[in-house]
Amino acid sequence: MFSNLLSLRGVAAIVNIFSRQTKLQRNVPNLTNFSTTSVACVNFFNKLPAEKLWKSVTSVSNAGAKKGRGKGAGRIRIRDLNRGQVIGIGRINMLWPGLSAPVIRGRELLKQQRLPDDPERMEKLTKLRDSMTKFRRLRLSPIERGWSGTRMPGRSIGPPDPIGEDEFVGFDTKVLQLRSLLIMKGNLGRTRNYQAMVVTGNGQGLAGFGLGKGKEAVAALRKAKNKAGQKLMHFEIYNGHTVFHDFYTAFGKTKIFVQKKNEGYGLRCHRAIKEICQAIGIKDLRAKLEGSNNLQNIVKAFFIGLLQQRTHQQLAEEKKLHLVEYRAENEYFPTVVASPSKVRTKEEILKDETLDFIQYVMDDRVILRKKKFPRFYEKMPHYKIYLKKYEKYRNHEKIRLMLKTEYGEVKSFLNDRYPEEKVESEA
Amino acid sequence: MTIFFRNLVQNNVKIILTRNSDSQLFTVSYRNLSILPSVYDGKEDPAPKFFSSNVQVLLRRLTRPDFAKVFRKRTNSGRDVLKTPSYKFLTDEELEAEIAKANKRADRLLQMPPIVKIHQPINEILSEDPALIGYDNVKYLFTDITFGVANAHRIIVERDPDGILRSSDHDIRKRLNQTYFPIKGRKLREPIMFTDKDRLNSLLESEKYEFVLDRACIQYEPDEPSYQKITSITYQHIDMNKNYDMLRSTRHFGPMAFYITWHQSIDNLMLELLQTSAVREAVLLTALRHEIHGDLANGEQVQALVHQILPTPIQLSKPDRLTEEDIELDNKCVECIEKYIVGNSAMKSQQELALQGFREYYQQMIELSRGLKKAHGNA
Repeated sequence: MFSNLLSLRGVAAIVNIFSRQTKLQRNVPNLTNFSTTSVACVNFFNKLPAEKLWKSVTSVSNAGAKKGRGKGAGRIRIRDLNRGQVIGIGRINMLWPGLSAPVIRGRELLKQQRLPDDPERMEKLTKLRDSMTKFRRLRLSPIERGWSGTRMPGRSIGPPDPIGEDEFVGFDTKVLQLRSLLIMKGNLGRTRNYQAMVVTGNGQGLAGFGLGKGKEAVAALRKAKNKAGQKLMHFEIYNGHTVFHDFYTAFGKTKIFVQKKNEGYGLRCHRAIKEICQAIGIKDLRAKLEGSNNLQNIVKAFFIGLLQQRTHQQLAEEKKLHLVEYRAENEYFPTVVASPSKVRTKEEILKDETLDFIQYVMDDRVILRKKKFPRFYEKMPHYKIYLKKYEKYRNHEKIRLMLKTEYGEVKSFLNDRYPEEKVESEA
Repeated sequence: MTIFFRNLVQNNVKIILTRNSDSQLFTVSYRNLSILPSVYDGKEDPAPKFFSSNVQVLLRRLTRPDFAKVFRKRTNSGRDVLKTPSYKFLTDEELEAEIAKANKRADRLLQMPPIVKIHQPINEILSEDPALIGYDNVKYLFTDITFGVANAHRIIVERDPDGILRSSDHDIRKRLNQTYFPIKGRKLREPIMFTDKDRLNSLLESEKYEFVLDRACIQYEPDEPSYQKITSITYQHIDMNKNYDMLRSTRHFGPMAFYITWHQSIDNLMLELLQTSAVREAVLLTALRHEIHGDLANGEQVQALVHQILPTPIQLSKPDRLTEEDIELDNKCVECIEKYIVGNSAMKSQQELALQGFREYYQQMIELSRGLKKAHGNA
């Protein structure tokens, strides 16, 4: 009875009622305060089993659940009130031989007796129960984590499933998008579907993307992954690190301006483009997004742009001119990267022909470069004061470094006028 | 004219002087033998020989400039990140013009550090003013910092406590020039890699020759004794280890070739050239020796041959096919070298062996190319 009642306690409000009830029961044999008024001993709390009581406080109606109620903060969670309780040990600390203690200890027969109360018992129980209420997040190692928290986008889900005996060796799949869609059905009404977009690649030029739908998120991901494995495309990578040239690409309202970059630049672009580049094996690139940032359109636009790239040889053949590369680290030595079979002469070049390389590969599109305004504080008086004040310190760091390399410490003839003083203080 | 004055505590001057006298005994021990630096301080001045157009042409050709190495990726240009390459569409004529420009840049990159005689100490007393004796107990230095005056011609004088006004010596001149008109990369104090012989030795052992020579070029003037000592040690180290390839296509190969020719020790380089089948360059080296010392019996013949060799393209690798003109020229070269080995070489047996090896290899090459020509027909 005791433990059964205890298991009914759910929320703080219930606890109060519980204590009142136990008082009531103890008061029954006390005939000094006898009264003829009826006392309702059977109520909502001791009539129903724990399961139903919990359901009544935690559940949300079907209509409410469809509207998204009963989620997030303030949600009541089911607690197991039996946890931390042992039969035979209760609020009143009694020794029950055969239940909470052995019948015979040594040569002595133990007797039922009351032991001193444990004042911390209730505190311990409440602490234990409170620990069950908290929502625990699924913890992911930093390596497994995606773009944000434990959400799927950005996470790796392994290579596509093998087809027959052909395995996808060296491939890895990254989730780009996972979202739920609501669709209407004739007999079921509004039902939930999941849609996933993933990109898979081996980091050596082979990559593909896939879109999958399913009743469950896992199914959608699996379908998308396997579809991506079926639609692999090969991309050539310039010197193993970047694209062949700058290009412009668009899909729907999404526009992307991609720029070829030097080694060591890294991937500075939308996170989805970054994942695609990593899947393909592109290491250095800059991409600027304009217009809509619809993820599926970004992915499609970027793949289209990559496929429409022209190699240097193709560009040279199109123009019928030598394509020459200049690198700052090679003192701008003109390296011929591609030569056409027949070179045009200067007279054959049309008057209004695009000869600028970047302008040609961008199809005469010009990237809008916004003017950089000075920072707001640069016009303020305090900034001028700051500049004046710190002007004299601007080379100190370098000087300190030089002194340290020369003497092993910061010292000069200015502060080393009385070196004997230092020797004394050291001694 | 603005005159700034600057007084140095006498102690500082003393430190400089003692340090310089220490570096007089500068040798680098190389395993068991130690390299003794030899500098251009004899009676004869190397400058006229070095700057003569004949020698310059020979040195430039001996450098064997390979543009892949001349324009190699350099990381010492103060850039912390690489830049995105740029591209251009060019016609044939434009490309030729660009390559011509690149050739000029290559000339600049391959410009050889000059070889000159060690400078004489400056001992010029401008005036003696006994009235100023004991005026102060420090030396006064006066520098003319007028804009546009070359460092070498700048007026730098000092007034001693005993009232004598004299022109400053080279070390003080260098110090003051560097203070008022700093040269990028040059330090006021000599870097430890040049003063500490162990450090220099470890650099040489790890074959960082170009680094040592480049830094010496920045830190010193070509007529300074320290510069000539350090370069001399480096050249000798290269010569001993036959690491000539590390200096090829750099601006230091010419001065090194000049140095070893000047000091009559071209045998190692000659042997290396013969072993790598570069007979034409071997002839150029004998011609260089004749230009400098004029001690070859067949000097006229060598000079005539040089005029034939210079118009031919530089051979960066062994040719895979020979024309009849090539064969004729190479045979003349071999004859020339034979005479040189008999008459002037100090490593006769080894060089003869190397030459014999070349002859055999060359005979095979001739047969191969003639056979190929026959097989392909005359077209």
